[in-house]
Amino acid sequence: MKKELVQKIAFTSITILSFTIVSVVLLILGFIVVKGIGAINIDFLTKAPENGMMDGGIFPAILGTLLLILGSAAIAFPVGILSGIYMNEYAANNWFKKFIGMMTNNLAGVPSIVFGLFGLAIFVNFLGFGVSILSGCLTLGILILPVIIRTTEESLKTIEDSYRQASLALGASKLQTTFSVVLPMAFPNIVTGLIISIGRVAGETAPIIFTCAAYYLPEIILSFQTPVMALPYHLYVMATSGVDLNASRKIAFGTALVLMTMVFILNLSAGAVKKYMSKK
Amino acid sequence: MNLAKLKDKFFESVIYSTGIISIVIVLFIVYFLFKEGIGIFDKQPLEEGYCAVVHHYNHVNKISPEQIKKIVEGDLTNWKDLGGSYDSIYLFTLSDIEYKFTAEELGENFEHLNEKIAQYVSLNTGILAILPEKYVEKSLTRIKLDKVSLAGFFNGQDWYPASAPSPQFGALPILLGSLIVSIGAMLIAIPIGILVAIFLAELASPAVKNVMKSATELLSGIPSVVYGFFGIVVVVPFIKDLFNLNIGETALAGSVILAIIALPAIISLAEDAISSVPKELKIASLALGASHWQTIVRVMVPAASSGIISASILGIGRAFGETMAVLMVTGNAALMPTTFLQPVRTITATIAAELGEASTGGLHYQSLFILGSILFVITFIFNLSAELVAAKK
Amino acid sequence: MKKVIALFAYLFITFSNIAQTVKIKGSDTMLPMMQLQVEAFLKRYGGDINVTGGGSGTGITALLDGSIDIAMSSRDLKMAEKLKFEDKKADLKVVQIANDALSVIVNPSNKILSLTREQLEGIFTGKTVNWKEVGGEDLPIVVYTRESSSGTYEFMKEHVMSKKEFSKSAISTSATAQIVYAVSQNKAAIGYVGLAYVEPIVKAISISYDGGQKFIAPTFNNAFNKIYPVTRPLYLMYGGANEKQVKPFLDFVLSIYGQKLVTHKGYIPLK
Repeated sequence: MKKELVQKIAFTSITILSFTIVSVVLLILGFIVVKGIGAINIDFLTKAPENGMMDGGIFPAILGTLLLILGSAAIAFPVGILSGIYMNEYAANNWFKKFIGMMTNNLAGVPSIVFGLFGLAIFVNFLGFGVSILSGCLTLGILILPVIIRTTEESLKTIEDSYRQASLALGASKLQTTFSVVLPMAFPNIVTGLIISIGRVAGETAPIIFTCAAYYLPEIILSFQTPVMALPYHLYVMATSGVDLNASRKIAFGTALVLMTMVFILNLSAGAVKKYMSKK
Repeated sequence: MNLAKLKDKFFESVIYSTGIISIVIVLFIVYFLFKEGIGIFDKQPLEEGYCAVVHHYNHVNKISPEQIKKIVEGDLTNWKDLGGSYDSIYLFTLSDIEYKFTAEELGENFEHLNEKIAQYVSLNTGILAILPEKYVEKSLTRIKLDKVSLAGFFNGQDWYPASAPSPQFGALPILLGSLIVSIGAMLIAIPIGILVAIFLAELASPAVKNVMKSATELLSGIPSVVYGFFGIVVVVPFIKDLFNLNIGETALAGSVILAIIALPAIISLAEDAISSVPKELKIASLALGASHWQTIVRVMVPAASSGIISASILGIGRAFGETMAVLMVTGNAALMPTTFLQPVRTITATIAAELGEASTGGLHYQSLFILGSILFVITFIFNLSAELVAAKK
Repeated sequence: MKKVIALFAYLFITFSNIAQTVKIKGSDTMLPMMQLQVEAFLKRYGGDINVTGGGSGTGITALLDGSIDIAMSSRDLKMAEKLKFEDKKADLKVVQIANDALSVIVNPSNKILSLTREQLEGIFTGKTVNWKEVGGEDLPIVVYTRESSSGTYEFMKEHVMSKKEFSKSAISTSATAQIVYAVSQNKAAIGYVGLAYVEPIVKAISISYDGGQKFIAPTFNNAFNKIYPVTRPLYLMYGGANEKQVKPFLDFVLSIYGQKLVTHKGYIPLK
């Protein structure tokens, strides 16, 4: 009897706790949505900041974030996927591979500010790219590289060896086997990993502060050499500076909402893509 | 046929070389971080190319950055206190030059500067001049500054990296600041995370579980700067009112925000661990007459412990390296942390706040790279031990 | 396939052409004004200018590194910086474009209306820890400061605190508005900001530089007439080699219209 009472109390409190936690977190989201929705309209999404950052929109920041995503993806996707293939399909299974595996694994957990330091030292200063889209994309690309290598590797690992053997037995070369048999099977998982890494690029602030972020850059110039406005940095700026607090808060909430929505859409589509592709 | 083989060879070599490239990148990052930082040690804590000069009658030959700070603040005024003869200390730095000499005296391109300085030093017996080496004649008497040492860096309690004329690099408050904030975050997040994981793995109906799992997954993607902003607007004032404090920007505010950030990962990893406990264990325990709750606490959680512990360690590592949210809410005062209810400065916030002004290659720049290396090593240790613990089962 | 290659080639060409961007970086104090100036300038003449904050020190460092064209600074160059420019053989030009009154702010509920420089030094160095020591109520003082990259921080240290260091327990924020917000929320707080940042939610106090005989409030008129003791010039700095590129913008800022914009955001014009 006592046993059951204890269990009842324990279960009830755990249930209540879980629901409370989830609702607290949803409240946080709701808070930002409610506060941010008022700021959002067509002008907000399509115009540059005006009047000392207190009016106008955040279009350059949205576009900047998209550019950073494209750039870092262009750098990290090919290198990351090919490296993942190399690690799982080609590299000899020795201590060196283990060591590298360990390093990539750990690099995936290294704080993003460390990548910011690295980006500043290498790309901005040493290679002389300056504070520019190029430096930003390279830094962010390297930031997501270990994640991509890992997901690719993990996804390839789940494909059973019998498929490889069958393909090889049928006379296909190793390369053909990898690209026509193994890779397509692992593809849904890889794509999911890629989209999630993009979401990370969209939200990172620390690595871009010193490598590419600009406070105000109204004209969109497609050049690798200019700095760029980006949503997370813009949010940071609006949250901490600005002469008129009321106006800047409103813009900050709006920016937070846009950024959050962007990341949500990416993450949701990652799930959807996975589902859709595995069905096929 | 031959062409096909050539094609194969080509693509395979591409794969090989990209593999090698990313290996090189990995090693390069590690190498560069340490390389940029390590130069700080065994240097005098003065700006690059500076030296400290005293009058040639002065017998004191060593001085510490702390003492220089005290001289600036007016707490240390006589050479006698430094083991010299009785004479009041007169600190002379670059910025004083403008007040002491006119532009004509110095010459258009400062060509008379050396001469003027030498003259000036010889006229003041109590002088302690801190100036660039190239404006100081060889004949002048130098005084040595305690070099920046590893021990001083880890033990020192004064973080004034931009202080003129002599910066101080005591990173202890900053290291402890990071530690206290992440420990606080884990004290909040680990118990809650485990309990919610138990709920999801054992109690929740499939529908509820599904909804909650996707909610937590969604949350894990929210950028930390958004949480930081939320922290400024809501958490900081809330903590200030709740504890009736003077300051809301506290270690606790950072811990709360970090706990919220770390929760989704801890929940999902712990839930995986509990769910993967073999069914037989659970059934056996229930068959022996244990209640469901007893089974959870005495059988399933212990069986999942390696997974849960590794999730917790990963959580700490994540919290330790989080930057923006912490920068925005913890107050960033480089105080020795004693309670959760005081402002602290973390490693990450220090790097983010100071890197912009630190000129490339200077002492300040190097000190931030040392902090970055420390951060790297610590998160490395966390990640590695999480991996080892997870592998142990 | 050909189309794809053509597209990439096109993208490559557009991306790699060197844009004549004027990069401006530095003082947070000056950001709101500069943003307005750039906005107005671009509207009239077009072109490409971008502005980034981070603090005066950050801007000057970046100018030294050659990664920007114009540095905004709310303080004079330090001697060390002057010599570094000298080393690089950079023909540095410094143009004053406005003035600012460094204002000390407290919560509106604070009874204190004025402080002497000596009292401020005590408070910001951490020697004075309670409001009652300077005539207020019995409440521990909470000091807000900026990061050391800030020109306002340096100016404060140099001109108010006789070069002493800020108290270790001072809460440091990376941008000015955070100080304004925190002070507006906190009864015990004190902070310092540029005049443009002073809002009705905080109270700017009067300051005495003659030991308490005469207290002067940080107002537009007092600063304009140079009565207010901690008035400071705001500068734009650039390398002489870049003159042709940055000149049009500088002329615009110094024009009658540009100076009107200065006033508009709460800064003090030159004339």
